[in-house]
Amino acid sequence: MRDFKYIDLKECILKDNDGVAEEIRKLANDKNIFVWNLMSSPGAGKTTFIIRLLKRLSQDIKIGVIEGDVESTLDAEKIHAFNIPTVQLRTGGSCHLDAAMIKKAMDYLPLDELDVVIVENIGNLVCPAEFDIGADLQSMILSVPEGDDKAIKYPLMFSVCKALIVTKIDTLPCFDFDFEALEKNVRKLNHQIKIFPLSAKTGEGVEDFITFLMHEINSKIKR
Amino acid sequence: MHELPLVKSIFKSVKQKAEENNAARVVMVQLEIGVLREFVPEIIQKYWDYITPSTILENSIIDVVEIPASAQCSQCKNVYLLDLQNLFSSVCNQCGCETGTLVTGREMKIKGIQIE
Repeated sequence: MRDFKYIDLKECILKDNDGVAEEIRKLANDKNIFVWNLMSSPGAGKTTFIIRLLKRLSQDIKIGVIEGDVESTLDAEKIHAFNIPTVQLRTGGSCHLDAAMIKKAMDYLPLDELDVVIVENIGNLVCPAEFDIGADLQSMILSVPEGDDKAIKYPLMFSVCKALIVTKIDTLPCFDFDFEALEKNVRKLNHQIKIFPLSAKTGEGVEDFITFLMHEINSKIKR
Repeated sequence: MHELPLVKSIFKSVKQKAEENNAARVVMVQLEIGVLREFVPEIIQKYWDYITPSTILENSIIDVVEIPASAQCSQCKNVYLLDLQNLFSSVCNQCGCETGTLVTGREMKIKGIQIE
C-alpha cells in the first residue's frame, strides 16, 4: 500500500525576495537613507514628476535615482542631466524590479552622500506591487487620462501604497474623470491612503505632496 | 511575466522540504494564493511541468487554494468579504461603512506538500 504524507510548509513564495528586501532596509538604515518606491503604468508621468521634485528639492536634500525600464537609458539620461547620481536598470523584458536588482543598483550609488533614493519602477500596475524592494515609502501615480476605474482593475497596487498621486489634473477638462468614484473605490481597500491631485506640468498641488514627502523623510532620517 | 521566477522559488522550497523528509516523490503541492495576486493556476502548472522532469517532483500536481479578499471596517473593525467584481457597492455587513483596510487577498504561500 502506498504511504502518503502531508507536510506543512506555510512558507511565503517570495521569501528569497523578501530576505533581500530586508537587507536593503538594513543597508538604508545604516546609511541613513530614505528609499522611495514610485510605481505607475507606462506614461503616467513618473519621470516628469521626479524631475519636478528634483528641481524643487535638490538644494535641500541629496537625492539619488534608480531608473527601471524594460529597454533604453532614456530616463536615466534625463535625470542625470540635473547632475543627480542615477543608475539605469534595464530589465530586458522583466515586468518589475525586484529586491536583488535594487540591491545591486545601490552598489553604484554614492550612498554615503545621499539622503534619499528614488526608485522609478517599471511602468506596470500589476507586477511591481508584488515585490517588496525594501522601500520606506510605497507610492503610485495614476494620471487623469488613465481613468478613475483603475482601483477596480488593479486592486493590489492600490492596496499596497501609502500615497496615491493623481497627476495631469491640468487635463481634467478633456476627460470624464470622477475623483469621488476613484476615492470611493480606493478607500474600500485602503482607507488610510493619502491622495494628492496635482499637475507636474503646472505645479498645481505639488507643494502638498512635498510637505507629505518631507514629513515621511524627516521621520526616518537624521539630518 | 513573473510566473517562472515564482515557480522556481516554489520548486526550491518544495524540493528542499521533500528531501528533508526522505520523500520518494512529491504527489501534490498546495498553495494559498490571495485573489488579488492575479495568479493563473494553469500557467503555474505549465511552468511546473516544464521544470520538474527527472526530479522527485515530476508529475506532481499544483493545487491552488484561493483566498478571498476581505477588509476590516474602518469604523466598527468588523472583517467582511469584499466583492472585487462589484467593489463600488461593497460595504461593511455590520455597520454599512464604506471604507476599510484589506486584511486577506494578498496571500502568496506554500501551504504544504503531499509526499510518498
